[in-house]
Amino acid sequence: MIPILLRELKCNRRSVILWALSLGLLILLVLGIYPSFVENGGAAADFERYLEAFPQGFKRVFGMDRLAIFDPVGFFAVEMYVIVTLFGGIFAAMLGAGLLAKEEDEKTVEFLLAKPVTRGVVVTSKVLSMVAGVLLFNLLLAAATLAGFEGFVKEEYNRSALLWLLAAPVLVHLVFGAGGFLISLFFVRRRSAVSGSIAVVLMLYFFDVVAVLSERLRFLEYFSPFRYIRAADIVSAGSLRAEYALGLLAAFAVMVGATYLLYGRRDILV
Amino acid sequence: MYAIETFNLTKYYGKARGIVDVNLQVKEGEIFGFIGPNGAGKTTTIRTLLNFIFPTRGTAKVLGMDVVKDSVRIKEHVGYLPGEVDYYDDMTVSELLSYSARFYRGDTKRRTADLLEAFDLDPTTRIHALSHGNKKKLGIIQALLHQPRLLILDEPTSGLDPLVQKRFFEVLREENRRGTTIFFSSHILSEVERFCHRVAIIKEGRILKVDTIEDLKNKQFRSVRITFKETAPPTLEIPGVVHARRDDDTLHLLFGGDVNDLIRALSRYQLVSLWLEEPDLEEVFMHYYEKGVEAS
Repeated sequence: MIPILLRELKCNRRSVILWALSLGLLILLVLGIYPSFVENGGAAADFERYLEAFPQGFKRVFGMDRLAIFDPVGFFAVEMYVIVTLFGGIFAAMLGAGLLAKEEDEKTVEFLLAKPVTRGVVVTSKVLSMVAGVLLFNLLLAAATLAGFEGFVKEEYNRSALLWLLAAPVLVHLVFGAGGFLISLFFVRRRSAVSGSIAVVLMLYFFDVVAVLSERLRFLEYFSPFRYIRAADIVSAGSLRAEYALGLLAAFAVMVGATYLLYGRRDILV
Repeated sequence: MYAIETFNLTKYYGKARGIVDVNLQVKEGEIFGFIGPNGAGKTTTIRTLLNFIFPTRGTAKVLGMDVVKDSVRIKEHVGYLPGEVDYYDDMTVSELLSYSARFYRGDTKRRTADLLEAFDLDPTTRIHALSHGNKKKLGIIQALLHQPRLLILDEPTSGLDPLVQKRFFEVLREENRRGTTIFFSSHILSEVERFCHRVAIIKEGRILKVDTIEDLKNKQFRSVRITFKETAPPTLEIPGVVHARRDDDTLHLLFGGDVNDLIRALSRYQLVSLWLEEPDLEEVFMHYYEKGVEAS
């Protein structure tokens, strides 16, 4: 297991750092706006009125109906949370989808499977490398966020709610990473496996948005991982609900398990 | 115990035929050629032995172990060179070899160095910069570095220049002398002829014949070339003529009958010359294929 794991950690390193770096910089940039946003006290009232004019649905999608945008955590939740969860989800799905598919796409799978390793070990090593990638990605983003709060936010804020906002996306990213693995088994080429996984992430995000907007389509939200980690829920409750966290972990486990079963029985054709 | 033994091994890809009822017995220590045209089922057989694909029916054993259940243990003792070699482009030659070595027990450093020298391959080259031939060399080295008991080579010489081919066969002969069984597929007859002890001919997924090279060439067939004084007859009406081709005054026959019948039949003609030769494998091989066509 160790050789494959080390190999994949090394391969993933660059993309993890690039993704985290670009999103991390964006977080710092947005948090950098916060001081001037609140300082302009007189304008705040205007801004509230300005927000009033926004369609109700739009505000609900971004949690703006329940989050206080003039609170630092609320500001972060409205401005950045969707971006972190959604782009992180896309990143994790791409990572997961590529790890098995690339061996077949690049015809290296015949090299790998001719070695004395079970397919289970191959899957385990690759899933672990994906988990490590997701954790590192989120750690870097958390570091950027905390540094941004340290540097730009002068008032008191709900630190524990912020930490929950940084931790909750990890679960969704893991679910999408595992989903990427599973989806990639149905594609021959890496490129289509990756595109397919991105499409699924976007579709599930869309489910969450539609569910907020339409009473009739409300049921769609249960299929969307995003629904379980909505920022407004976390901030108002002060934490992520345990049953949601467990549910997401269960979804992760089920998809990894399915990947084991399917990959173990698959005909490898290159 | 056989190095490879298959029992009615069958593989269908959905409805498409891969191999049908393949029964093979490769003895330990031999060099076994597996020959047939593209699409005949050579690679399918090999991939089943390595459990890249699962048999639809039948079973197979490698080194006495079941190819599905004991695949990992089998691979500790098997070296494999795929038909199409591709390795991780971002690695160098030596990185790939040490990656490969980490999957096996025991020290492979010495052996790797020897093989790199034998094939004159620079370990610092990046894989994406390797030519096709050099990739193949790398493939052979990674298949050999753990001193396998069985080598499985899928079309090993395609794309190798003659000098490298020569070196390649030298290294393989040396391996074989140390007791390594070699199973290799090819559609190039001459190399099978030169190199193998026994050969299996596969066509449209089925084994047509398993024989030693000598028997295949000698037992039944002669290649006959007759130059006539006048225009040659289109063929000779005697039993045993498998194949005839006329070329002006010359008649080429693949002949599997009694030589005396041939001589008697020729006594009616004025001849310029007559050659009786051992056919090369290609001729024999073509015969099996044509016979197959007639039968179907």
